[in-house]
Amino acid sequence: MIDSFQRMRWIAANTFLEAVRQKFFNAVLLLSVALVVGSVFFQQFDFGSSELKFISDFGFGAVFLFGSILSIVLSTQLFFNELDNRTALTLLAKPIHKLEFLAGKFFGAYALMFCFTFSLSLVLAGLLFWRETVLMGQLAEGFDRGRLIRYGDVFVFGFIQWIKFGVIAAMTLFVGSFAQTNLFTIVVSFFGLVICQLQYIARDAYLGMAAGAGRWLVQGLSWLFPNFQLFNIGDQLVYPVEEPLALVTLGLITAYGLVYSVAFVLLAQLNFRSREL
Amino acid sequence: MSTLNLDLKHPLLLRSLKFVAVVVLLGALAQVMRPVEQPAWEAVQARRSELPLSQIEGALGQGVVFGVLGGFRTILADFTWIRLYVAWEKREAAELDALIRLVTTLDPDSVYFWVNGARMLAYDVPHWRMDDAGGVQILPDARQRAIAEEQAQQAFVLLAQAREFHPNEPKLDLEVAQIYLNRLQDYANAAKWFRQASEMPGAPYYAARTYAKLLRVQGLDQQAYDFLKQLHQELPDGDPYAQKNIVLERIRGLEASLAIPEALRY
Repeated sequence: MIDSFQRMRWIAANTFLEAVRQKFFNAVLLLSVALVVGSVFFQQFDFGSSELKFISDFGFGAVFLFGSILSIVLSTQLFFNELDNRTALTLLAKPIHKLEFLAGKFFGAYALMFCFTFSLSLVLAGLLFWRETVLMGQLAEGFDRGRLIRYGDVFVFGFIQWIKFGVIAAMTLFVGSFAQTNLFTIVVSFFGLVICQLQYIARDAYLGMAAGAGRWLVQGLSWLFPNFQLFNIGDQLVYPVEEPLALVTLGLITAYGLVYSVAFVLLAQLNFRSREL
Repeated sequence: MSTLNLDLKHPLLLRSLKFVAVVVLLGALAQVMRPVEQPAWEAVQARRSELPLSQIEGALGQGVVFGVLGGFRTILADFTWIRLYVAWEKREAAELDALIRLVTTLDPDSVYFWVNGARMLAYDVPHWRMDDAGGVQILPDARQRAIAEEQAQQAFVLLAQAREFHPNEPKLDLEVAQIYLNRLQDYANAAKWFRQASEMPGAPYYAARTYAKLLRVQGLDQQAYDFLKQLHQELPDGDPYAQKNIVLERIRGLEASLAIPEALRY
């Protein structure tokens, strides 16, 4: 058992290093940071909300958008690189179980996503702190109760997104386990992401439908995909609200994401174990 | 027997079995995770602005849905507002109406969108419709009035929706009051809404003064006098925006017009 964890850790560490060296990761990270910092410029187009709210919404959007792209594309690349370069054959010829290989790949991608979300959360928190300090100097009467922003919540949001990126990475590995090409895996995973984002609509729809075949079909479909709207809690964090989101809720969302991540890795194993390399 | 074994190992059959297994396992997982998901979902939903997809379907296929569901709601609402201005410049009433609904659905937390959307519906669109129908010079007064009322009703519906998101926002009630006053010249309803707005926390001082003024316009001088006396007592002394001296001037004016005896004056 300990040996198994050692092997997974070893594969994860190599996967992580390989991913960090990829130009794609660095380009996306730079682009995301630029977009978050650029929200100060985009603020010129803002009509409805306060500057700080706009910057935080923009930053959260950037974390979601680029994080999702990174999770899908990098997980696919890291998985297929091993198959295309035939290094998977060498690895699996050693006493390494296919599940250890998949789990190692997953943890490598997951560690990378942690670096991504943490970096962006740090940049966003820094940017908000700077702008809030400037605004406090200009509009002192609006800050008579001190700072408005709860900076810890920026990192809570980052953490919840990281959990979601884990599900996306695991789902991508699952698709990759039966797909033959990179492109197919990326496209199907993106469709999967959109379906998971929209899953709650199917769920709301079947609640309003009359009993029958249609309702069963919609209900069945909503069971097949995890509900990603559960992770979109950016508008409930950062700013003081009457009732902050309970820790229990955050715990439940985390548990939900982790269980689905494990489940998709195990389902990937179901396909991968019989796959000819 | 060997034939049967061969059939059972047919790749298509194995693939189908695997597919069914995945579907069953994911369905079972959804059931197992229900006690975890349900309370979390209820907690998250209870605090979130609803985003009915039916109201944004007009923008489907324009990258809106992905952005919206992903978290770019604020900036998408801002860019949609810019699109709305283009429709406003071109006097496209139908598109303007649809875009107002889209913007307020995307970002219902912004009072700016609700108030300005209502203003466009109540003040601008009636003129476009009157121009399209031949212009105010030749359009009968009754028809002009009907158009103004129809558009004001649309603005009221929009502001009623806004109040669901902002129940304690005086700007919304003030907007209803202003439309009754400036667009429909309905002083009774305008007074009612100014009064309602003036009682909300954070309401501007002029709401109460305007209420009293509208009472006078309707000939309800005694009511206006009683209200202003009460108002004058409640207004703070040091705040220049409260304009306590103006209120006192109006009280004096009413005392003169109501011929209130010197001994009974405020």
